[in-house]
Amino acid sequence: MADEVWARLEVAQGGSRLLLGGDWTLRNASRAAASLPARDGLAPGPVEVDTSAVGAMDTSGAFLLSQWLRHAAGGGGAASFAGGNPAHHALVARVELRERQPLARPASPAIVRLANRTGRATFAFARAAANLLQFFGLVSVKLALVLLRPGRLRLRAVVAHVERIGLHALPILGLLSFLIGVVLAYQGADQLRAYGAEIFTVNLLGVSILRELGGLLTAILVAGRSGSAFAAEIGTMKVNEEVDAMRTMGLDPVEVLVLPRLLAMVVALPLLTVYASLMALAGGAVMVVASLGVTLPQFLNQLGEAVTLSTFWVGLSKAPVFALLIALAGCYEGLQVTGSAESVGRQTTKSVVEAIFLVIVADAFFSILFAQLGL
Amino acid sequence: MSAPVADPVVRVRGLVTRFGAQAIHDGLDFDIRRGEVIGIVGGSGTGKSVLLRTMIGLKKPEGGGIEVFGRPWPRREKELRALQARWGVLFQNGALFSALTVAQNVRVPFLEHTRLDPKLVGGLIRVKIDMAGLPPEAGAKYPSELSGGMRKRAALARALALDPEILFLDEPTAGLDPISSAAFDQLIRDLQQALGLTVVIVTHDLDTLVTITDRIAVLVDRRVIVGTLSEHLTNPHPWIREYFHGPRGRAARREP
Repeated sequence: MADEVWARLEVAQGGSRLLLGGDWTLRNASRAAASLPARDGLAPGPVEVDTSAVGAMDTSGAFLLSQWLRHAAGGGGAASFAGGNPAHHALVARVELRERQPLARPASPAIVRLANRTGRATFAFARAAANLLQFFGLVSVKLALVLLRPGRLRLRAVVAHVERIGLHALPILGLLSFLIGVVLAYQGADQLRAYGAEIFTVNLLGVSILRELGGLLTAILVAGRSGSAFAAEIGTMKVNEEVDAMRTMGLDPVEVLVLPRLLAMVVALPLLTVYASLMALAGGAVMVVASLGVTLPQFLNQLGEAVTLSTFWVGLSKAPVFALLIALAGCYEGLQVTGSAESVGRQTTKSVVEAIFLVIVADAFFSILFAQLGL
Repeated sequence: MSAPVADPVVRVRGLVTRFGAQAIHDGLDFDIRRGEVIGIVGGSGTGKSVLLRTMIGLKKPEGGGIEVFGRPWPRREKELRALQARWGVLFQNGALFSALTVAQNVRVPFLEHTRLDPKLVGGLIRVKIDMAGLPPEAGAKYPSELSGGMRKRAALARALALDPEILFLDEPTAGLDPISSAAFDQLIRDLQQALGLTVVIVTHDLDTLVTITDRIAVLVDRRVIVGTLSEHLTNPHPWIREYFHGPRGRAARREP
């Protein structure tokens, strides 16, 4: 009874006899499967199985034998055991699978499946949009209620979130903005040099950063940094049933979880936008002064001519709207988490994609709006 | 302390577990015999789960050692992997991989430790799911679609995948209703007898202890006391008395 495993079929007048030996275990499963004789060698009539030479048997060996026997029995004869360890025979009976109905699935043509999926995805998108709008409505109502009774506002939580969204983002946001300013100045100067208009690099920097890039860059970074954190935090609380616990204690999750984050975001994002714009301009200034031979006073002078205060306000006015969208997407997706850890990851990803999408769509709307207003 | 036995599957000698300055286990000595069902009990914080985690190598002991199958703890990765194929673990909440279906969960150990014909593996997966008492259609479901009891059964199917010699169970009946608990106990007993398993159960469930364990290891005062139920019943230690003679202990033993 070494690692050897074998099976031998003896065919006699009245039926067949299957002799087995060796270790019928998982380790030998491939060899055991190969050693089982072809069933067409079976004589008509009953099959006897003798396992007296079998050393060890586990479920895999038993399963192989039971499958073989089932098909043998299907060929006409009944199977029975003759000789060997009764525990092995019990195991073979134990692993016998109940006959199962194959699940027949009518396969529809590929074009139908494609249409089906497209339809489902379209409806899912529309439903998600409607739900987000509904959530916006709900949050607005709760916000109005809280503003009517300011005592209910969780000021401490708001301040803590402002710190996490705003203060902790300063180093990374500052570095990124500075570098974008450098890149923008470099590329702008390169193109404008052909017309001898290098000094207009400053105009390019001033207008593009203050009107568009500062706000957009900040919003996208914060969506990735804090919007995702909102979704993951609230989602994890959902998995832990903390949100349900709040509800049963009469606490409103929107009031406790969503409003402080939303308000903190609306406070922090405009401040971050100002900071990011200044850092980007600083980056641009360094580049312009270093490579174009312009002095810093000249730079500032040119900048003052290029932009007005309204340029700055136009850029900044978008920030609270972006903040609202990021906070809504993050909190909404967090509350959509169900059950598992996997769901937290999925909703977090969704929240970031949604937030960035909404921010860019809103920015496009703002462009049209400001163009109509002639700003 | 139990008398030394020939051929213990797990031998714990002088095991010390410490968290910072706080000692949890201070020189545990006990053996787990082949083919027995042993329960590990103890109050909260006595390190039941830690002991289990140490036995399956998830935690390194601060002192002493553990021998499995008569050999010292493997140093090499390859030996450890060979060892891991010889035991199955059922974690408290099942620890099923949530991104995989039940059948895929059961397939994981096969992919990791064997090279078998996929058709044979498919058949074995169906056998394990069936043996764990799940209907065949459960194989296609995701863990999040299963009830707590079914999730435990699915996790048991995964633990049984490679026909382990030892089955470690952490609180197998926690969170199950009494009927499901009793059914799960019976299932473990059946499988243990059919497959000749050695079973190590960490549990608080007195019914489980009374119905299916052969011996019980009680963790108390940073030591372990191993014995049969009747031996523990005569032990004068206050915690053990309280545990087995308290109202719940008496109820589980069907004693007024």
